[in-house]
Amino acid sequence: MAKFLLLAFRNIFRNRRRTIMTLLMVGGGVAGLLLSGGYFAFMTHGLREDTINSGLGHLQIFTADHFNRDEVRVLDTGIDNWRQVAAAVKTGNHVRGIAPRIDFYGMVSNGTKAAGFMGAAVDPEAEKSLGFTTWIESGRNLDPKPNGEVEALIGKGLAKSMNVGIGDGLTVLAMTSDGALNGVDVQIVGIINSGAPERDERYLRITLPAAQRLLQSDRVTNLVVGLDATQNTDQAYSEMMPRLNGLSQHLVLKKWIDLATYYKQVNTMFNGIFLFMGVIVFFMVLMSSVNTLLMSMFERTREIGTMLAMGTPRAWIIALFMVEATLLGLVGAVVGLVAGNLLGLLLNASGLHMPPPPGYNVPMPFKVRFVPLEMIGSSLLVIFSLAIASIVPAFRASRLKIAEALSHV
Amino acid sequence: MEEIVNVEAVSRSFPLDNYPSSHPAHSYVSALTHASLRVNAGEFLAIAGPSGSGKTTLLNLIGCIDQPTTGRILVNGVDTSRLKPAGMSKLRREKLGFVFQTFNLIPVFTAAENVEYPLLIQGVASDERKQRVAEALESVGLSARANQRPDLLSGGERQRVAVARAIVHQPSLVLADEPTANLDTHNATQLIDLMHGLNQRLGLTFIFSTHDARLLEHTERIVRLTDGEVISDSTQGGSRG
Repeated sequence: MAKFLLLAFRNIFRNRRRTIMTLLMVGGGVAGLLLSGGYFAFMTHGLREDTINSGLGHLQIFTADHFNRDEVRVLDTGIDNWRQVAAAVKTGNHVRGIAPRIDFYGMVSNGTKAAGFMGAAVDPEAEKSLGFTTWIESGRNLDPKPNGEVEALIGKGLAKSMNVGIGDGLTVLAMTSDGALNGVDVQIVGIINSGAPERDERYLRITLPAAQRLLQSDRVTNLVVGLDATQNTDQAYSEMMPRLNGLSQHLVLKKWIDLATYYKQVNTMFNGIFLFMGVIVFFMVLMSSVNTLLMSMFERTREIGTMLAMGTPRAWIIALFMVEATLLGLVGAVVGLVAGNLLGLLLNASGLHMPPPPGYNVPMPFKVRFVPLEMIGSSLLVIFSLAIASIVPAFRASRLKIAEALSHV
Repeated sequence: MEEIVNVEAVSRSFPLDNYPSSHPAHSYVSALTHASLRVNAGEFLAIAGPSGSGKTTLLNLIGCIDQPTTGRILVNGVDTSRLKPAGMSKLRREKLGFVFQTFNLIPVFTAAENVEYPLLIQGVASDERKQRVAEALESVGLSARANQRPDLLSGGERQRVAVARAIVHQPSLVLADEPTANLDTHNATQLIDLMHGLNQRLGLTFIFSTHDARLLEHTERIVRLTDGEVISDSTQGGSRG
């Protein structure tokens, strides 16, 4: 067996120029897959963490009604005993903190002009402790216990639309939980640039107590749970479910992935592109390798005839060609892995940026992430391609007529 | 004495074109016509004749590399026409040794590895392989060149490696097709002497083809072919009918 492998290995390097060309092609395929896959992985990993740190958290607790029906009045599907719920889940494994939230809508006015807004009421301390991004472009974050006027952060687009800046005042109007219209004057302490202009044109953020006063309710829309690491989401989810089941209100727990629609779409798109590229590389390696291996077979016709004349089983000839191709794929994969990783390191050190993705205005760093599973998958793909490519030459070699093969020139 | 080869009225013809055999334009060329031959164990036999006389065809048929159009061949008592491809392959592997005109060594193997190859495909254990390879190389005087690849050996050395490869698995019969055609006279004579010596010392049966009349002086029995027909079968002592 060892001698057989030795024969196959040495045969690979008989025609060095052709072998080098094949290795460049195979290695190029692997390196290409690694770089594109690594870039996609960097993008999706970055997007995943950005999505979680943007305030989505790892887990979110809602009432079941939140998903079953629309609100008739503001917060009527909210969590009423939310402090008790937070206390029940706070001690769970991997839980880093709980942040209550209220989502609300209304109008803002500067006295001469009014516009609709999408509001978020937060506990600034809880958000900060979970490391959530504030996106503050100028000004400062909300003071958890302000003295005097209610503080607000508003989106860059909304500030521009309302012609206000830091230190200016706005009147915020919203429907209370009783169905009455209520208003509160707020002072702008910061301008937010989330990178998504559509959101920033309507975004307003105030503290949770201010929103509860405005909406005349002690409820919150949901509780955001931050964990120590994203990979612990499933475990924390399983452990948290029984704790929620013991509470009076019917609550549901959602994982971040279930709420991250944009992330899922991007991930699906990247996976589709990567799969398509994999198919292209597979056929590219397959087609060119068939040709290379057939040439190798024709060149060795007399040698194969000799081996058959000496009584070599035809299955051995098939195996020899397939092992040769597989070894060639293996060496090519190693070449590709080395080249791909080196290029990846160079790219990561280059500081290059890509244009912002649709809906964003911040350029994306052009970096690659090294994913072991992608390395293994890409390598197996080209090895498999070469093994498949060797089938035709292998069977043709094994079926040579010995007498004709021996007289082949 | 044990009969190793029995060629019974064997003919071999080859199609001259790509027409099916039923087509009126289909034609054949006859490479061997009604040839008969018996070879006993331990014989050293030359098949002589000019180019195109059918020497290679006859050796290919005896060596189970090709099959006769009519007639039958028995090797070691086995009717080769009844064997399936796998059976013929086994017969060649175990009972026959081959020496080719152009040496046909595996270029990526060393001399020793080339000699080892027939043992490898027979599944002989590693230790035994090493011992038998060493003996075979010694018997052809190439122990010192064991680790050289064929491209570093002279033509004469390559053919001696080929002879070692043909005998290493102790076959019943060694077939050599024009083994001296690519050698100078000195090396050709040495090779024939080497094969003859192995025949005498080990009792191996050799059948080789040649068109070089000078080499026939070293041969006990000569079968002459012309235009695919056996025209004579003679020993140094006289004709064999």
